[in-house]
Amino acid sequence: MKVLVAVKLTYDINQLKFEKDGTPLLDACPRVMGEADKCAMEEAARIKDAGKAEEVVALTVGSSKEHQRILKDAYAMGATKAVAIKVNDPDNLSALTIATIIASFIKKTGPYDMILLGSGAGDTHSSVVGPMVASLLNMPLLANADRVKVEEDDITIVSTLEDGQYKFRSRTPAVVTVTSEANEPRIPTIRDILRSKKKPIDEISPEDLGVELSKVDLVDVKRYEVPRKRVKIDATDNVEEAVDQLIKALEQEGVI
Amino acid sequence: MVDFEFSEDEIRFRDSVREFAKRYIEPKWIEIDDQGKIPMELIKKIADQGLFAIPVPEEYGGMGGTMVMAALAVEEIAYHDPAVAIAVYTLLQNGWPLALALFGQEEAKMEILPKVASGDAFFGIGSTEPQGGSDVAGNKTVAKKVGDKWVISGEKAFISGVREIQELPEGGGFFLVAKTEKPGWSHTRITDFAVLPKWNGKIREEWKPTVYEEIGRHGLSTGGFTLENFEVDDKYRIGEVNKGFYLVLQGFNIARILVAAATIGSARWALDKAKEWLTTRKLFQGRPIASFEGVSFRYAELYTKVEAAKYFVYKAAWMTDNTYLTKSPRFKPQDLNLPVAMAKMMGPTTATEVYTEVLKWFGAYGYTKECSAHRGWLGTFSYTIGAEGAQNIMKYIIARDTLGSDAVRNVWVKEE
Ligand SMILES: Cc1cc2nc3c(=O)[nH]c(=O)nc-3n(C[C@H](O)[C@H](O)[C@H](O)COP(=O)(O)OP(=O)(O)OC[C@H]3O[C@@H](n4cnc5c(N)ncnc54)[C@H](O)[C@@H]3O)c2cc1C
Repeated sequence: MKVLVAVKLTYDINQLKFEKDGTPLLDACPRVMGEADKCAMEEAARIKDAGKAEEVVALTVGSSKEHQRILKDAYAMGATKAVAIKVNDPDNLSALTIATIIASFIKKTGPYDMILLGSGAGDTHSSVVGPMVASLLNMPLLANADRVKVEEDDITIVSTLEDGQYKFRSRTPAVVTVTSEANEPRIPTIRDILRSKKKPIDEISPEDLGVELSKVDLVDVKRYEVPRKRVKIDATDNVEEAVDQLIKALEQEGVI
Repeated sequence: MVDFEFSEDEIRFRDSVREFAKRYIEPKWIEIDDQGKIPMELIKKIADQGLFAIPVPEEYGGMGGTMVMAALAVEEIAYHDPAVAIAVYTLLQNGWPLALALFGQEEAKMEILPKVASGDAFFGIGSTEPQGGSDVAGNKTVAKKVGDKWVISGEKAFISGVREIQELPEGGGFFLVAKTEKPGWSHTRITDFAVLPKWNGKIREEWKPTVYEEIGRHGLSTGGFTLENFEVDDKYRIGEVNKGFYLVLQGFNIARILVAAATIGSARWALDKAKEWLTTRKLFQGRPIASFEGVSFRYAELYTKVEAAKYFVYKAAWMTDNTYLTKSPRFKPQDLNLPVAMAKMMGPTTATEVYTEVLKWFGAYGYTKECSAHRGWLGTFSYTIGAEGAQNIMKYIIARDTLGSDAVRNVWVKEE
């Protein structure tokens, strides 16, 4: 099998700090491979370890030093080839543009038997790139996999929807998006890390793929905001009453 | 040009160790401190992650990394195991294997180091003797050459890893310091050996170990042992005959850097714990106790000391890499004495200073067993006492290398 994993450089949300007014301090936040993307990469590495895939290509849109670093991380986890797409400002590309670039790369360098992506990225979490890639390639989509099983040319995933767990199955080739619940990604060893820095990273421009960046619609993100609501319940005098109020408030919010 | 940034490799490596320690060490450190044992599976896991023999060249099964990386790894592990047993186990498995790689004979290195790197064997330091560890030249253990073998007899005390080598599948041993041919105070009559009381899974009868009960750092054992006519092949001799004093001191330099790194990792954890507490515990009409200058100024001082101690460690590690790994002609082994002694003086002293304050900040809760800060206190305190050299000995080295050895000579130098 030949597997492609698309990974995104995103904020390490565990280290994200906020201003008093809730504005995230993005510039001060270290950037890493997205959490779900790491799980996608782990699935690919496991498929390779099990002898079911010979080639695992890691791809990212962007070619800055930080993008190169997450590709080295992909190598350290088990990728056999890494490719950076040379664009200037990948953070300002729309999801459709990113999906178009990935799909064009797949058409040009494929065929691939399996395309793995994280189900969503820690920053935008639009969760649409995977489905768009599937649609652009006219391939089946297995979305939001909490578990992935590959047998010959047959992929089965388990996905958790609102009303329970579902199993989906498809023939290869297929696009699979993986949640951050899917596995515990391996931690590269020192040897993996030291070797990965010597591995080559191919750079390809969107023009090489026939994607015209002039057509790309730039999105200007003015501000990320986490909607927060403060509800204060006074429990000084009557704890039981306060508990009832709290439960009611949580029910109203649809939390419980 | 000065550059205070770690390289990309170093950062990626440090982050990988941080993740590893968070996942596999942090959930277990208290249990390990209570049970007095690092589980063998965890030792194997640390080895599989490539955290032993980090600076040892790959041809000996090592990781081909650097001392800076080893220091970062030990610091991160200690942050997630503030009682420092796992951190110290790890540091011993980096420092002394490197010393063997630098000074040992080819055959012994090929035989021992891969097994240390894979976690199946332990290789520590056997220097201290019951009469006093600070005076290495006063050691009494004797190695006599009989035919083409050495026969070693004597007693060692306060040696880390005595129980572990009995439990590890392969076994292991020590970088052992012995007087050549006859006892008596001397640094020109010392030879070092790789002594392996348990090897290929078999314990030698000429080795009689005991294990001590200690007040902290319970996960890692310290014990004593006697050697009675313990035969050692000449291939296990480390370095030239009678040059052992100078070689073991270089080994101490390497290990001291990592000891300091361990105590700093633990101190960083204590300060982070304290920060949570000081900013959330509220007194005097809802003021966080951090708002009282008696507390916050002390926090500021200690934070600064820990940062300073960290840079002593990184600089000494960087110098060690230049001296032994890249072999820059600008660095000589003896140049390491001063920066290493400063790092080893700063690390443990700062850590215990941090803990004595942090325990007080926690109030009565700090004095309970439920608050785990005392574990870090007891663990790091051992490194102000000894382990790779007592604090006074660090001060002696610093004074000697700054004021000049004639001015500060305070030990006998008359060979016996
Ligand atoms: C937890 C732990 C683990 C250890 N692990 C090992 C190990 O793996 N291998 C090993 O070989 N050793 C090990 N040691 C021993 C350690 O190296 C010694 O404790 C240390 O060298 C000091 O020796 P000592 O305890 O015999 O004290 P002594 O040497 O007897 O010193 C007693 C006191 O006198 C002071 N003193 C001595 N000489 C002078 C001087 N000239 N000027 C001023 N003050 C002086 C010392 O600072 C100390 O405070 C370990 C110790 C501990 C606590």
